[in-house]
Amino acid sequence: MKDKLKIIWNGIVPSNPVLILAIGLCSVVAVTNFVKNALLMSFAFSFVLILSEVIVSSIRKWIPDEIRVPIFVVVIATFTTIAALLSHAYFPSVYDAIKLYILLVVVNCIIIGRAEAFAYKNGVFDSLLDGIGMSLGYSWVIITIAVIRELFGNGTIANIRVMPHIYQPALIMILPPAGFLVLGVLVGWLEWSLKKKKEAKK
Amino acid sequence: MNKIVKLAVVLGVISAIAGGILAGVYQFTAPVIEARNQAALKAGLLEVFPGNYKFSELKIKLKSPDPAVTFGKIYKVEDSSGNLVGIILDVTTPGDQAPIEMLVGVNRNGTINGVKILKSLETPGLGANASNPHYYVNKKKKITFLGQFKGKKVTDPFIPKKDVIAITGATITSTAVSRGVKAAGVAAYEYMQKAGGS
Repeated sequence: MKDKLKIIWNGIVPSNPVLILAIGLCSVVAVTNFVKNALLMSFAFSFVLILSEVIVSSIRKWIPDEIRVPIFVVVIATFTTIAALLSHAYFPSVYDAIKLYILLVVVNCIIIGRAEAFAYKNGVFDSLLDGIGMSLGYSWVIITIAVIRELFGNGTIANIRVMPHIYQPALIMILPPAGFLVLGVLVGWLEWSLKKKKEAKK
Repeated sequence: MNKIVKLAVVLGVISAIAGGILAGVYQFTAPVIEARNQAALKAGLLEVFPGNYKFSELKIKLKSPDPAVTFGKIYKVEDSSGNLVGIILDVTTPGDQAPIEMLVGVNRNGTINGVKILKSLETPGLGANASNPHYYVNKKKKITFLGQFKGKKVTDPFIPKKDVIAITGATITSTAVSRGVKAAGVAAYEYMQKAGGS
């Protein structure tokens, strides 16, 4: 039981795909300017990652080694298209804003990386847990960044006004450069606190 | 040789299954997406021509006087007794990053009745303020960027910083929208004058 929980926890902090592995950052910077964009992206990403890992691990015995990558791409592309169709049907306005990045989930290196490094070598249940962990790890990071950027760049959180009207929004926070700024600060903070924890253990 | 056949079969089978699943999901979501688009269009038409009007698609092509601006569908606006009140054009104008698609309503008397942006990818906080209902170019009178076009004559020049108040830091967006509105206004007014009594 404990090592199952560890698989989930692994994606949330120790091998967080965004902050520690630092892969798939393009869409992280792009979709974190508003909370609603980050929420839809989290949904699409989790949907694709979890289902792809489950499918890849359950058919891994029949996948010939030579063509495993094309097969991963077919599986991932299928779930990405489904996620895009569902988003278009049920969240049309947000989908219009970040359409490109949802479609680009298909080439997101976190997903193909987990399919290759984890799902191809582990069982269905472990892959499901890994997918959940990695999705949670990705989602908490991008939602945190989006909350910070939208709060200071637009004075709102999820379109609800939080800052008083007198507050003059810092436009740079919702423009791309702040994506890197906030991401960098978060990476630094996590590394710092992990290091401190390690030293405390010694 | 056998190996290659086996690989092709495996990949083929997986792709076929994936294709089948996608076809199913598409069948399921297509009507929902279509219904949403229809509802959004209806709401958009009502926004540029608020009131108790009847909207119907006009099967005509109008030529845009501005080469950068193109027209899509055209809708006729009639009051309850069937008189022509104005027409609405679906206008595409080149924006800062991607084309801006908007609805422009033109009154029969040659004034702009309303403008609504349907699709745009302008910079958040700058050009995107064009469609922000809380961004006022005239704070005292609470007039939005699009709101300032209401009642403007199609014969006006429509040049930002002259007769159009531009959005701060977004001259390209302001110019693009103004050009689109102007082109639509001129073409629509010309058509309605020719159509005359109908």
